[in-house]
This record gives sequence, structure tokens and C-alpha cells, in this order.
Amino acid sequence: MKINDNCVGCGQCASFCKKGAIEVRGRARATDACVECGMCIPYCPVKAIEVPA
Amino acid sequence: MKTIVIGAGLGGLLSAARLSKAGHEVEVFERLPITGGRFTNLNYKGFQLSSGAFHMLPHGPGGPLARLLEEAGAEVRIVRSEQTTIRVPLKQGKPDYAEGFKDISFIEFPSLLSHKDRLKIAFLIVSTRKNRPSGVTLEAWIKTQVKGEWLVKFADSFCGWALSLKSNEVPVEEIFEIIENMYRFGGTGIPEGGCKGIIDALEAVILENGGKIYTGQEVSKILVEKGKAAGVISESKKHEADLVISNLGHAATALLCSEALSGEVNAGYLKMLETIQPSAGIKICLAADEPLVGHSGVLLTPYTRRINGVNEVTQADPNLAPPGKHLTMCHQYVAPENVKNLDSEIDMGLADLKELFPGKKYEVLLIQSYHDSWPVNRAASGTDPGNETPIPGLYVVGDGAKGKGGIEVEGVALGVAATMKKILG
Repeated sequence: MKINDNCVGCGQCASFCKKGAIEVRGRARATDACVECGMCIPYCPVKAIEVPA
Repeated sequence: MKTIVIGAGLGGLLSAARLSKAGHEVEVFERLPITGGRFTNLNYKGFQLSSGAFHMLPHGPGGPLARLLEEAGAEVRIVRSEQTTIRVPLKQGKPDYAEGFKDISFIEFPSLLSHKDRLKIAFLIVSTRKNRPSGVTLEAWIKTQVKGEWLVKFADSFCGWALSLKSNEVPVEEIFEIIENMYRFGGTGIPEGGCKGIIDALEAVILENGGKIYTGQEVSKILVEKGKAAGVISESKKHEADLVISNLGHAATALLCSEALSGEVNAGYLKMLETIQPSAGIKICLAADEPLVGHSGVLLTPYTRRINGVNEVTQADPNLAPPGKHLTMCHQYVAPENVKNLDSEIDMGLADLKELFPGKKYEVLLIQSYHDSWPVNRAASGTDPGNETPIPGLYVVGDGAKGKGGIEVEGVALGVAATMKKILG
């Protein structure tokens, strides 16, 4: 997943990720465990997660 | 009477519940798939973390939020915290906790003052109730009253925890209104089930009264007809209403009706909106097998670099963590100039925890930061511009339109209560 500069680091996405593939520290980062399912996208309150191409 | 509410955060749902109970036909539009905004639970590794708030009501079962919940018919049990404590160095005069510490009760804060300052404070506690100071920041006011640094340190810790501001950013009037509210309503409390306990109860009231809550539905425009709020457009569909209540803060609300606000008469309002600053903060969520705080209230930590205070909500509701575990949440204020340095701010927060909890075993579950468009408060406390807009029938609620002297969610509740009074009389 691509996470853009809108990200504030609230961690909401991490709690909805089924793969435990999001690390948060000041902002969110998808780890290698990310399967690009897109599950997290609608839960982001600041539209920071972009749909994979 | 039909009312549309934009945003299913606490302010939106409180408004919707209260109005649906009063007979309004209510529809709530929420952009996200979940309700509650920054006031709900996030399930993380079996812990009920939160999307923002600290599962705590600043004035517990006697406060404005509890009162509004009761008025709306929302049934939530709120457990009053036993105490608020302050962690201070074991030996007075030490700059930090490195050589040991002790916890004193909140009301014992004057014990760290010099004898002379203690007498001054005793006098001020009485005299300021009649003659409230005004016109300066809290820090500036303290410095005109007492010599020692302790009171500013203590004020920074309290303002950091409660408002995510420093005492040199808070108008002294706001603090004295808060102190008055502490006398009026009492100290903190924890809702059973955490933030979501309250959100669920409000939703139940709305649904019972025939109201509707749509999630995953973003509002793209507020309709204004004949100079009055007339409804919204959501997902390309027009929804008409007699009243519109926005939970998005004034600035984001104005963007949804920018055409209607474009006239010269509204220039002053739009200019004022530019001055509103959100407040920023970091929450570090800890899991521990043994208690780190040991009571259900707040532990204020004035002698750290960054952490302002800590609470341990499992002391009041053990179900907020897996069996046998504690959920402890630490808050730190982030200065506007440090929002771009969150990494080093977090480092300092984590270093503070080592000093605060030496020899204790805990796991950092999640570090959550809030600023800009998803902040601690959309309007820093003391700068809220009220609930009305230049457009009749359009109101703003939430943490961008808090009532005076209301800490966090109590401010949201005071703002909603004031709005309800305007609408319902």
C-alpha cells in the first residue's frame, strides 16, 4: 500500500489490518506482510492510503 | 422537523440522539465505515485501544457529557475514578525521576511550594473564585503570582494532559472556567466499555427513535436555499432537511458551503476561521501484566521531558484488555513546531516511560499521533468559535466548537448542549 503525506499516524488502519502488516510511528508504513488487499483504505480518516495501481 | 447530521463522531451522535428523542426526524451521514470518530474503540491485539480519546470523561458521572447522555436517554455506566495523583521526585529540588519518586494526591500540589507561595495560593484559591483573572495566558498569570517554577511545571502537565496545550498557550480565563467546572462536576470517570460504550448507547437511542445512521456516505455539499440550510448532497444524492448540524469543525464545514459564504458579509467569519489552530498530541498505549498506575484516575507526570500524564482504564473496566492484562495510555503534548519531528518526540516519550516505570515490564502496543486534519482538538481549547455559523439552520458541534471551560469531550458536550438549547429552546 502507498501511504501519502496526509497520514498523521493515528494508527486506525493498523487496527483493521487482518495481516498485522502496518507499523505506526509518527506515520503508518506497510510491512512486507502486506498483501495489498485494500481492506484498510476506507478506514483511514484522512484519505492517506492510496489504491494500489 | 428534519435534521441532517454530518459526521458520526461524539458531537454528531450526541446531537442526533438528543434531537431524535425530542421528535426530530434525524439522518446521520458518516464518511468512514465506522461510527464514533475519535471517540470509539479500536480492537488491537485483543486490547480495546481508542481512535483518539482516552476512555475517560474529565468530569465523570457528574459532568456535562454524563448529563447530556442522561437527557438523551443513553444508558451508560460511568465509573468515578478514585483519585488523581501527581508523580514528583522523592527529594524536592531534583529535576527528574532518576533518583526515585513518590505519588502525591492532586490536591496536595501546594505542598511543593515555598511557605510564602503556599499562603499566596491558599489566598488565591478563595479570591479568584470571585475575581477571575483575565487577559493573559495561564503561564504569564502564574508568574505574576508566585516565584517558584513548580506551579508552571504542574500547569504544563495538567494543560498537556487535559488540553494538549502548554500553559503559555491557554488563556487564563479558560483555566479558571475549568477549575470552576471541577468544583461543579467533580473529577474523572471511565465509561464501561470505553468510548464505544457511549457511542453504542447513543446509536441505540437514535435507532429506537426512528433515526438513521449511514456509514460510508460522504457529504460533498451543504445545500443552502433562500439563505438557509436546506440539506446535503451525499454520494451524488440530494437529501433535504430543515436543519443541518456539522461535526466537522467550522473550517471543513465552510468548505462544504463555500458558495453560500462567498459574500462580503461573511468575510469576517471566513477570516476568523483562518486563525483557528488544531492541537496536536501523541498517545502511547502500553500492555502490562502488573498495574503501572495502580488506580483508575489520572497520574500526572510533571517531571518528564514529554509525557504529561497516564491513565490505566483497566482499573475501572478490566474488559478493555485481555484477562489479566492492563491497558495503560500515556499522553504527550506536541508543540506546533514539533509536528514535523514526531519521530524524536516519540523517542523522548518512550525514554520518559523508562523513568516513569523503572523495573516494570510492559509492552508498547501502539503509538498514535494526532495533528492537523485528525488532531487532538480541531480548535485548541479557549479558541472555539461557538456553534453558530452565518447560515441560519447550520450549526457546528464537536471538538471544533466546544463550550467554555470544557475539557475535551466535556467541551464537546457543552457545545452540543448549547446547540440543543438554541434548537429546542
